[in-house]
Amino acid sequence: MFSLLYGFVEFVLRREEFRILFVGLDKSGKTNAVERLKTLLTDSLGLEPPRIVPTVGLNVGRMEAFGSNLVLWDLGGAAGLRSIWDKYYSDSHAVVFVVDASNRGRLEEAKAAFDRVMGARDLGGAPVLVLANKQDAEGAAGLTEVAEALGLAGGGGPAGGAPCIVQPASAHTGLGLAEGLKWLVDAVKKSPRRRLVTRAAS
Amino acid sequence: MGIWLSRMLSYFGDREARILVLGLDNAGKTTILYRLQVGEVVSTIPTIGFNVETVTYKNIKFQVWDLGGQTSIRPYWRCYYPNTQAIIYVVDSSDVERIGISRDEFHAILAEEELRDALLLVYANKQDLPGALSEAQVAEALGLHDIRGRPWAIYKTSAIKGVGLFEGLDWLSSNLQK
Repeated sequence: MFSLLYGFVEFVLRREEFRILFVGLDKSGKTNAVERLKTLLTDSLGLEPPRIVPTVGLNVGRMEAFGSNLVLWDLGGAAGLRSIWDKYYSDSHAVVFVVDASNRGRLEEAKAAFDRVMGARDLGGAPVLVLANKQDAEGAAGLTEVAEALGLAGGGGPAGGAPCIVQPASAHTGLGLAEGLKWLVDAVKKSPRRRLVTRAAS
Repeated sequence: MGIWLSRMLSYFGDREARILVLGLDNAGKTTILYRLQVGEVVSTIPTIGFNVETVTYKNIKFQVWDLGGQTSIRPYWRCYYPNTQAIIYVVDSSDVERIGISRDEFHAILAEEELRDALLLVYANKQDLPGALSEAQVAEALGLHDIRGRPWAIYKTSAIKGVGLFEGLDWLSSNLQK
């Protein structure tokens, strides 16, 4: 009887685990954003920017935030390794697409990468948070300009009408990161993706 | 406070890390070890048993164990698993024929309870040889994307030419600080 009760209490208090995929071009600031989120939302300190090296594979960030257990998968963005991204789609609840808003010269390339991610079947229904990163840099493109560059105004974005917003952010100062992530977690809770089957992690 | 203090201290004094270099025979593990340690290409013979050297890089003393990779001695790898912070897994990128075997050995390592928290660094080695697979192809062939719960990284290397090895150590030292 007791174990039954215990099991019930545990079930009620159990936090859901959501896996959130961070993708975007190389040098857009994905790892910086994840490390900054660790500092903002957990007791431990994330790595400081000078200690971060380009990701050529996977970084994993874990945190308890917004009433859930979050696993942040941060994948390398170099052109040669973008083929790895789609291997993680089917297990992800939501996507964060990071854009270097201070580098207008690569917005077109960012759009191409963005369109490929948005066209992925395995991501059906997943909410998408676009971080218009590096707002601390002078003259960085703002919300509207990034939204236009990614074609969000003209019907781009996630297929099937999954929610998508652009959040101005700075991984350096922390601007917009926690707000953006909170929006994303809330969006996952309302999305069909919430019931995604968890595959055993190795 | 404690975190800050230990962070501060880690900027001084060397930290230590125990690293295992694993991979099939003839992948280039011993050449890599001595490239890292003395900065030269030494002529090697197939390792029966192990070589161990200390490499100091970016304030970290890497105690690097290079274990023999032949089929008959692979079962002994596990004797070295306890207290290992990272695995450097070396693949001969030009040995397309045996990449499936390399994958199986790699996944056996992933399943080891004692190595559950070890960082995973893959060297797609022998990039100087014609027909070598790219790092994306090696990543795909090894099934690196099956790793979901811990960090991994892959670097194109040529132990003979000394390319890519220290970039991998940069990644290790950055991630060992966490």
